[in-house]
Amino acid sequence: MEGDLLTVAIVVGVALIFDFTNGFHDTANVVATSVSTRAMAPRLAVGYAAILNFVGAFISLEVAATVAEDVVNPSSVGLLAVFGGLVAAIAWNLITWYFGLPSSSSHALIGGIVGAVFVAEGPDAIFFKNGVLGEVMIPALVAPTLAFVVAGLSIVVIYRIVGRLRPGSVTAGFRAGQVMSGGLLALAHGTNDAQKTMGVIALALVAHGNLPASDPTPPTWVVVSAATAIALGTYAGGWRIIKTMGSRIHKMDSAQGFAAQGAGAAVILVSSHAGFPLSTTHTISGAVIGSGAAKRLSAVRWGVAGNIVAAWVLTLPAAAGMGALTYAVTRVFGTGAAGPVIVSVLILAGGALLFAKRAQQARATATRAVEA
Amino acid sequence: MIGAIVDGGALVEVVWVSLACGLGVTAAYAVAIVGGSRAVELRRDGRAAEATVFAVVGLLALLAVLAAIVVGIVVLSDK
Repeated sequence: MEGDLLTVAIVVGVALIFDFTNGFHDTANVVATSVSTRAMAPRLAVGYAAILNFVGAFISLEVAATVAEDVVNPSSVGLLAVFGGLVAAIAWNLITWYFGLPSSSSHALIGGIVGAVFVAEGPDAIFFKNGVLGEVMIPALVAPTLAFVVAGLSIVVIYRIVGRLRPGSVTAGFRAGQVMSGGLLALAHGTNDAQKTMGVIALALVAHGNLPASDPTPPTWVVVSAATAIALGTYAGGWRIIKTMGSRIHKMDSAQGFAAQGAGAAVILVSSHAGFPLSTTHTISGAVIGSGAAKRLSAVRWGVAGNIVAAWVLTLPAAAGMGALTYAVTRVFGTGAAGPVIVSVLILAGGALLFAKRAQQARATATRAVEA
Repeated sequence: MIGAIVDGGALVEVVWVSLACGLGVTAAYAVAIVGGSRAVELRRDGRAAEATVFAVVGLLALLAVLAAIVVGIVVLSDK
């Protein structure tokens, strides 16, 4: 039982680390448009997003319920499978962060859990049809498409309404509006993404016997710790991805930024209400591309948009494969806490290595710029 | 076939509510900007009555945006 307690403590700790990397990785989705249009200074935008991410995590528990009950069978999932899924999601987040790709943390988490549970418990423990397909994959296709359409139509309506005004007052007005739309997007992100971690911790608590499988509602300490971890991660930020999202897809004006953030926030908030564990990355990327394409198709850098789509397509199967592999490696050390301890040390070392390499590359780039 | 896999009602609700809220809020905010900007220009030109009308329209549009956000959050947190 003591070994089990250590294992559940490690799983909860790793889940909160995942939540931190989720916030870190997804900061770009939330603040890039505000920074790109100069509606807010970068550090201010990041701090503001962090606070609203924290608040958003308390608004609803529908998505947590979906992750804890509808994707895999909570009564047949073990702690090591949950651990394997989490480690896979963290590893995928770190890899895509390193290469500057805004892939989905949410789909990495669900893919990782599904892969690990598939190897650990077999296909019967996974609700493929109604859970993975019906509550994750179909909404995953609908959400970015919907955000694309809403943002595109919004920008057409905006240009129609403000068409005759002086550009200066329109820019100033929509920059002020972006403080509101950016805040809503941060709130939406906290509402949907923090809940996925709550759902996974609830799964671990069911596996350990702390929560009943019939009603795995996360306790308050889980909600507070998940909200804190995602807010801290958001504050820590992710500057490479900010660059990709904010300016490399297309150059935005403040009206487009407002339309993209408004569309993204609307789709994510409504989906959270329905309990769909969406990807904020997919949704805001769809909205950003939609707001650019509605103005002028050539304004969108479709090559960069294509790289983002490729990362989306890869995320679920890649994370599932990594989840299966992590579970298998962890299981080599038995069913106790030894496997999670060893794998945690390895993933921490891998993460530190990637951070050090990235910092070294940033220093080299800065030195070259000074010399030039 | 798809109806047996996904909760069609919830998905349709997501689509129409997102469209209505996204378009409604952005359109209302654009009206608020037009109202505010035109009110400033008209007041500068000494056309106070027209300026007041635009200011009121802009203010009402802004209030509609804020009300939509508050109602949305209350509905979300109620479930």
